[in-house]
Amino acid sequence: MKRLLASREAILFLLLLVVYLGFAATVDGFSDWNNLLRRARYWVPAGLLALPMTFIMATAGIDLSVGSILALSGVVFGMLFNDVHLPIWLAGAVGVLVGGVCGMANGLVISRLGVPPLVTTLATMALFRGIAMGLSKARALADFPSDFLWIGQGSLLKFSGGKDVPFSIVFLLVAFIFAGIILRKTWMGRFTECIGENPIAARFAAIGVSRMYLALYTVCGIMCGIAALFHTALYATAKADTARGLELEVVACVVIGGTRISGGQGSIVGSLLGLFLIGILRHGLLLADVRAQYVIIAVGVLLVITAILNEWMTSRGRAKL
Amino acid sequence: MTQPIFELENIYKRFGAVEALRGAHLRVRPGEIHGLVGENGAGKSTMIRIASGVFPPDAGILRISGKPIALTGPVHATACGIAVVHQEADLFPQLSVAENMLLRRGLIRNRYRLIDWRSTYAEAEREIGTFGESFDVRASAAGLSVARRMMAEIAAAVAQRTKVLFLDEPTSALTSHEIESLFTHIRRLREEGTAIVYVSHRLEEVLELCDRITVMRDGETVSEDSAAAFTMDSLVAAMIGRDSARPFEKPSLAKGGVRLRVEHLGDVAGAFRDVTFDVRAGEIFGIYGFVGAGRSELAQTLFGLRRAAQGEVLIDGVTVRVRSPQDAVAAGMAYLPEDRLVQGIFPTHPLRSNATVSVLKRLCTATWIHHARESALAARIIADTGVKADSMEQPMTTLSGGNQQKVVFGRWRAVDPKILILDEPTRGVDVSAKAELHRLITESAARGVAVVLISSELPEVAALSDRVLVMAEGKAVGIFKPGEHTEHDMAQAAVPKSPLSLAEQEREKKQRERKRSRAAVLMRARELGLLGFTLSLALVMAFLKPAEFANTRNLLDVLANAALPAIMAQGAMLVICAGGIDISVGSMMGLVGAIAALAAKAGVPPIVCLSLAIATGTALSLANAGTALLARIHPIIVTLAGISIYRGVMRIVTAGKEVLQLPDAYRALGLGNFLGVPKICWYAAGVTLAIHIFMRYTLSGRRVLALGNSARAAQLIGLSKIRLTMLTFGMSGALVGLTAVLHAGFYGNVQANTGEGWELRAIAAAVIGGTNILGGRGSAVGALLGACLTALLYNALILMRISSYWQNFFIGGLILLAVVADKLLHENLTEKSS
Repeated sequence: MKRLLASREAILFLLLLVVYLGFAATVDGFSDWNNLLRRARYWVPAGLLALPMTFIMATAGIDLSVGSILALSGVVFGMLFNDVHLPIWLAGAVGVLVGGVCGMANGLVISRLGVPPLVTTLATMALFRGIAMGLSKARALADFPSDFLWIGQGSLLKFSGGKDVPFSIVFLLVAFIFAGIILRKTWMGRFTECIGENPIAARFAAIGVSRMYLALYTVCGIMCGIAALFHTALYATAKADTARGLELEVVACVVIGGTRISGGQGSIVGSLLGLFLIGILRHGLLLADVRAQYVIIAVGVLLVITAILNEWMTSRGRAKL
Repeated sequence: MTQPIFELENIYKRFGAVEALRGAHLRVRPGEIHGLVGENGAGKSTMIRIASGVFPPDAGILRISGKPIALTGPVHATACGIAVVHQEADLFPQLSVAENMLLRRGLIRNRYRLIDWRSTYAEAEREIGTFGESFDVRASAAGLSVARRMMAEIAAAVAQRTKVLFLDEPTSALTSHEIESLFTHIRRLREEGTAIVYVSHRLEEVLELCDRITVMRDGETVSEDSAAAFTMDSLVAAMIGRDSARPFEKPSLAKGGVRLRVEHLGDVAGAFRDVTFDVRAGEIFGIYGFVGAGRSELAQTLFGLRRAAQGEVLIDGVTVRVRSPQDAVAAGMAYLPEDRLVQGIFPTHPLRSNATVSVLKRLCTATWIHHARESALAARIIADTGVKADSMEQPMTTLSGGNQQKVVFGRWRAVDPKILILDEPTRGVDVSAKAELHRLITESAARGVAVVLISSELPEVAALSDRVLVMAEGKAVGIFKPGEHTEHDMAQAAVPKSPLSLAEQEREKKQRERKRSRAAVLMRARELGLLGFTLSLALVMAFLKPAEFANTRNLLDVLANAALPAIMAQGAMLVICAGGIDISVGSMMGLVGAIAALAAKAGVPPIVCLSLAIATGTALSLANAGTALLARIHPIIVTLAGISIYRGVMRIVTAGKEVLQLPDAYRALGLGNFLGVPKICWYAAGVTLAIHIFMRYTLSGRRVLALGNSARAAQLIGLSKIRLTMLTFGMSGALVGLTAVLHAGFYGNVQANTGEGWELRAIAAAVIGGTNILGGRGSAVGALLGACLTALLYNALILMRISSYWQNFFIGGLILLAVVADKLLHENLTEKSS
C-alpha cells in the first residue's frame, strides 16, 4: 500500500513535470520564474486551506464552508481595523479567532449532534457568508498599511535582476512541511487516518473520536482565519463576497493529491502537488490565451478523473492484496 | 413419510478463512414446524441466508418439492414460496406497516396504475385480521412494537402463498402473552399446510412447539429427529457436543486479591440489569450466555463504550467512573471487541500501526512518534503473540483472521492492563490460532492480570475459566465453577426463560409504546407545523406592516418568489430521498437556461426550446448520476466538479455575455398571469402535484423511498439502486430545465451568474420541508412549503428594513435548524424503539 501511495505521488510529480515542460516549450513567457512566482502568490490561500482539508477528508469528512469562513474572518479583520481602528495585529488576531469560532461551531454540530459534515458545512457555508455580508453590507474594506500588504505581496529576499522570494510562498511551504510532519509523524495524524479508516474500531481502540473531530474542524477554521489575512493582503481588500467557490478548489487539490474521499489515508505532499498542478495548469492556459471558462472546465474534469482514478487504484490495490 | 417440500443437502459455505458450513443439511416437510437449533456460530444464519437466496452455497443442492433449484436472489426465493421473517422485522422504518408488508409483492394499484391506498390498507388490515389482530397499518413501521411488526411480516408472508416460512428468533423481543398468540398462529399455519422453520435459542419453546428438530454444531448437522425423541438434556448435549474433550489444559494459578468488582451494574438501554461479580488478579473469569444475554453490552459498559444507568465498578477497591474508552484504559482496562472486522481492525493500514494504536501516545514525545520505538514494540507484539507475517508493513487485510486477532490481542496486551476483557476472542479463527490465543490468555492471567473471558463456546469457557458467570436475557443467572458443575448445567442455565413477570413486562411495553406514539405524532405534525409556522409568520407581518404586507400585490410577489425555488426543490427532494445529493443544479440551471435562450433567439419555437432545456437538464443530471455510480464515488464530488464544469461551458456557450432581448413568445412561457396569479405559481403548483402523486401513488416513488430507507433491505427485495438513482437524478434534471426556462422568461435574461446559489435554495427548501437529509423520507408539499417559508422570510426581511445582505444568514440558519431538529426528532424516535 505504501509503495502504491508513493508511486501515486511520483505519478503526480511526473504529471506536474510534464505539464510544466509542456507549457514551457509552447507558451511564451511561461518559463519566466519571476512571473510564475508572482502568480503563485495567488495560490497561497487555497494552499493554506488544503492542509486542514487533507486531514478532514482523511477522516471521510468535508468542509464546504471554508470560503465563507475566510470571507467572514477577512471582513471582521477589515472592519475592526478600518472602522474600529484597532491596532492591526489585534484586528488580525480577532479575525483569526473568529475563524476558529466558526470552525468550532461546525465541529460541535458534527461531533456532538452527529449531523453529517456535508450538510452541516453546506448550511454554515450560507450562514457564515450571510454574517459576513450582513456585517459589512457588502462594502469592500481597503485602506490597509503597506506593511500589512507585504505578507501577501512582499518578498523575503530580493536578488539582483529582479528575482525575489515571496514571503507568502515561503510561509505556505513551511506550513506544508509542518502539516506533513503532523500527519506522518505524530499520533494526531495517525489517529486522523484511523478515524477515517474505521471510526468504530477507532472508538474501540480508545481514540477520542469526537474530540478529534472537534479539534480538526476548529483548526480548519483557524487556518481559514490565517488564510483570510493572506487573502486580504494579496488583494489589498476584504470583501464579503470574496473567495466564492474556493471550497471547490481546495477540495480539488486534496482529491487530486490522492487523499481518499472515503477516508483512511491522506497525503499532504499530494495536496501540495495538486495545488501546483491546478495552479500551473491555470497559469499556463491563461498565458496561452485560453479563456478562463476552459480553465474552470479543465479543473472540474481533472477533479472527476482523479477521483475515479483514486477509487480505481485503491480497489485494485485491495483486490491484489 | 411425506416428501420434503424443502431440502438443503450437503451444503458447504466458506467466508475467507472461516468454514461456516461443512456439509450441513436440512429437510422440511409440508405442514410441520421444524426447529433449527445450535450454539452461536453453528451456522444457522448462514443456512437461512442460503435458503432465502441472499448468497449461493459453495457446494450442495437446494430442492423445492424434490426439484433442484439454483436461487438467483431473494426475489427468486420469494417467487419460489420461501419467506424469512427476521428478528428485527423493520425493513423500511420510515414507511408504513402496510407498505412494508406489501412492497415486495407490489402495492395494490387501480386502473390508472396508481397505488390504491385504501385497498392496500384494507388488504393489509385483512391479512392482519386473519391473524386475529387489529392495529393501525398506516403507522410507520418504526413506531410499532416488535411483536406487531413480526405479526405483520408473518401475515404478509402468508398472504403471498409462502410454502416455507423461516422464523429467525421470533420470540426474543416478545412478552409471554405475545408469544402465546404467535404460537397459536404458527400452529394454525401448520394446519393449513405451510412448512415452518423455527430458529430459536429458547429450547423449551422449541420442544413445546416443534414437530421435528435439526441440531447444528460447527457448520454441520449433528442430529435430526422428531421432537418427541429429544429431551431438554439430550438437546443441550447435541448442541454442545457430548464428546468435546478438553483441548486445552489450564495450569492452576495462585490467585491474588480482588481486582475488579462490579456491583449491580445495568446499562441505559436495558440490555442487562443488576449484574454483580468480582474478578481476582490472575483469575480467568468466564461469562457465558446466548446472543441477547447482554454479555457484550456488559463488557462495553465496563469499557466506557455504553452508558451505565446504575451500579458501581471498583478497581482494586476504588470506585472508578468510566465515561469513555480513554478513561477505561487510564483505569487499567483493555477490551478485545467481539466483531474483529467492524470493531477491531484498520484494514488497509499496516500491521505495525494496527498493533500499536492503543499505546501510541505512550510512545510519543510531545506528540512525536518515535519510529524506532514503535517498530520495536510492533516487533515485540508480533513475536509475543506469534503473528505470522512477512513484514510489519503489510496491510492488515493480507493477514488471516487468526493472525489479525492476535494483532488486536497484542495491541491490548501492550497496554499492560490490570483487567483484560476478551469478547469472543477465538470467533472465526482456525484451530492453531485458537490454541495460541488460549495460551496467550492463560499467560496473561499468570502475569497477574484479571481476565474476563466472554465466549459463546461453552467448552472454551469451561476449560479456561476459574469461575463462569452465566447470563440470560440481561440477568446474571449464577456463578458456576467448572470443577464442580458440568458444562451441561451451565448450558441449561443459559437457556432464556421469561425474565420478568407478566405485569412488569406489560407495563414496560406500554411505556415504550406511549413514547413511540408521541414521537410518531411529532413526525406527522411536521408538515402541519411548517404550515402553521409559515402562516403565523404571515400573520405577524400582517400585524406589523398591514399596509405593505397584506395586499394582493405583495402576497403574489411572495408566491412568485417562492415558485421557481419550489420547482427546483422538488428535484432536490427526490434525489435526497433516494440517498443522493446534487449540488451542481445551480450551475446546470445557468447552462441550460443559456442554451435554451440562445435557441429561442435563433428563432426556434418556444415549446421546442422548452423541450430542449428539459432534455439537456435530464442528460446532464444523468451524467452526474452515471459517473458517481460507475466510478463508485460520492455524488458530492461529481457534482462539485459539475459546478465549475457547467458554469465554464455556459460561459463558452454565451461567449461570456448576458443573453438579453429574448423573444416575447419565449418569455410568455414564464411571464404573465393566469387567472390573476403569476404563471410560474401555476407551474410550481402543477409540479408539486405531479411529484406528490409520483411519491405517493406510484410504485417507483415508493421504491425510491424504500431505497433511501435502507439500501441493503432494498437490495433484499430486489430493487435496483442504479435504476432508481438514475430515475431521481433524471427527474431532478428535467425540473432544472423547466426552472431555467421559466426563470429566463420571468426575468427576461440569462446572466453569467444565473442560478448561482440555487442549489442551496433548492436543498434548503427540501430540508426545511421535512426531507431527511440521509434519505428515505421527503414530501413534495413540504418542499413547496419550505420554499414559501423562505420567500416569506425574505419578504419580511425587506419589509422590516433588515438589509438583504442578511438573507444568506437566515437561510443557512434555517437549514441548520431544520437538520438539527430532524436529527433530534429522529434520535428521539430510535432511542425509544431500542
